[in-house]
Amino acid sequence: MEKLGIEPSLLLAQIVNFSIIVLVLAKLLYKPVLSMLEKRRRQIEEGLALTRVLREEEEKLKEKKQKLLDESRREGQAMIEEARKQIKEEEKDVLAAAHQEAERIIEKGREEVVRVRAGMEKDLQRSAVELAELMTKRLLTSVLTSEDKHKVVAKHLRDLETMKHINK
Amino acid sequence: MPHISLSAEKLWTVAGMPITNALLTTWLVMGILILITMLTTRNLRLIPGYGQSIVELIVGGLYDFFASVTGKHIAKFFPLLASLFLFIIAANWVGLLPGVGTIGFFHGEEFTPLLRGATADLNTTLALAIVAVFAIQYFGFQTVGIHYSSRFLNFKDPIYFVLGILEIISEVSKVVSFAFRLFGNIFAGEVLLAVMAFLMPFVVPLPFLMMELFVGFIQALVFSMLTAVFLNVAVSHGE
Repeated sequence: MEKLGIEPSLLLAQIVNFSIIVLVLAKLLYKPVLSMLEKRRRQIEEGLALTRVLREEEEKLKEKKQKLLDESRREGQAMIEEARKQIKEEEKDVLAAAHQEAERIIEKGREEVVRVRAGMEKDLQRSAVELAELMTKRLLTSVLTSEDKHKVVAKHLRDLETMKHINK
Repeated sequence: MPHISLSAEKLWTVAGMPITNALLTTWLVMGILILITMLTTRNLRLIPGYGQSIVELIVGGLYDFFASVTGKHIAKFFPLLASLFLFIIAANWVGLLPGVGTIGFFHGEEFTPLLRGATADLNTTLALAIVAVFAIQYFGFQTVGIHYSSRFLNFKDPIYFVLGILEIISEVSKVVSFAFRLFGNIFAGEVLLAVMAFLMPFVVPLPFLMMELFVGFIQALVFSMLTAVFLNVAVSHGE
């Protein structure tokens, strides 16, 4: 044993030394490093799980978005159709109203024409009567006696009275 | 011719306790391991830096490696197994550093190196072997219970009784084989390097140095791996 250099005190010292190394490394190295590795592994797992969930959510959202888009497109199309119909109906209404207005304006014009014509006819008659009176006066003064004049004047006045009644 | 001594040289004696150069190197190795540990693990982060990555690679790799041998018991065994591997490999490689075995002082004609490979001393390897075999028995009893003693003392059957005695001899021989395998390999390597450096000091020792680096790694692996296997056998007793 002595030749091999084995000494109980040295042997004990080395056992103590190695025990210290085991304890120190277990506390300062293995425990913190392994717990860190475990923590990282858990975080990666959680991250992957979260990614999976988010991907599924994204797929769902995409589908929902597509559905909404389709629905909106359909609704939009329906609204456009509806608007077209309304426009056509309104166009009809507007045209009908315009026709009515035109009819009314024409009618009014006609009435105006009739009214103006009647006025003109009256004026013409009046002028004709006045002209006849004037011509008669001149003729009577030169040809007829005063008695004839009275008779003729009386007759014409009666005629004029009659015409006035008719025109009214 | 370099002086070759099978035992570690005594440097001083403190309170009746001899301080050998191998013991000094053991303290140096302990200091290096603890210093590296403290430097690399004082600020562990979820996103690791270079130092933390290397430490995680080593510790995580060892954990997975020993887990493949010991299975569900890894959490219990890991501190011992990883410490055996790290301490032995560090001690083996420190023994190869320039200055270890070459820097020292003369007592007249006799040269005493200040440092000597820690595992090139039987006290160190024997201490490691004793701790390993003691741990095997401890974990055997802890896991299996009192029934574990039937591995060594079994009076049910004469054959089991004889087998028990053989088991005891086997456990004692484990200590011897552990201690001498590691000591033999490392000491032989150091002698080889010393002789090569004496015969041809330049270039030629380099391939041997590389080989000794490899041997240092392999011996650390063999020691810790065998301990793992024996631990596994112990905790599986009676299954």
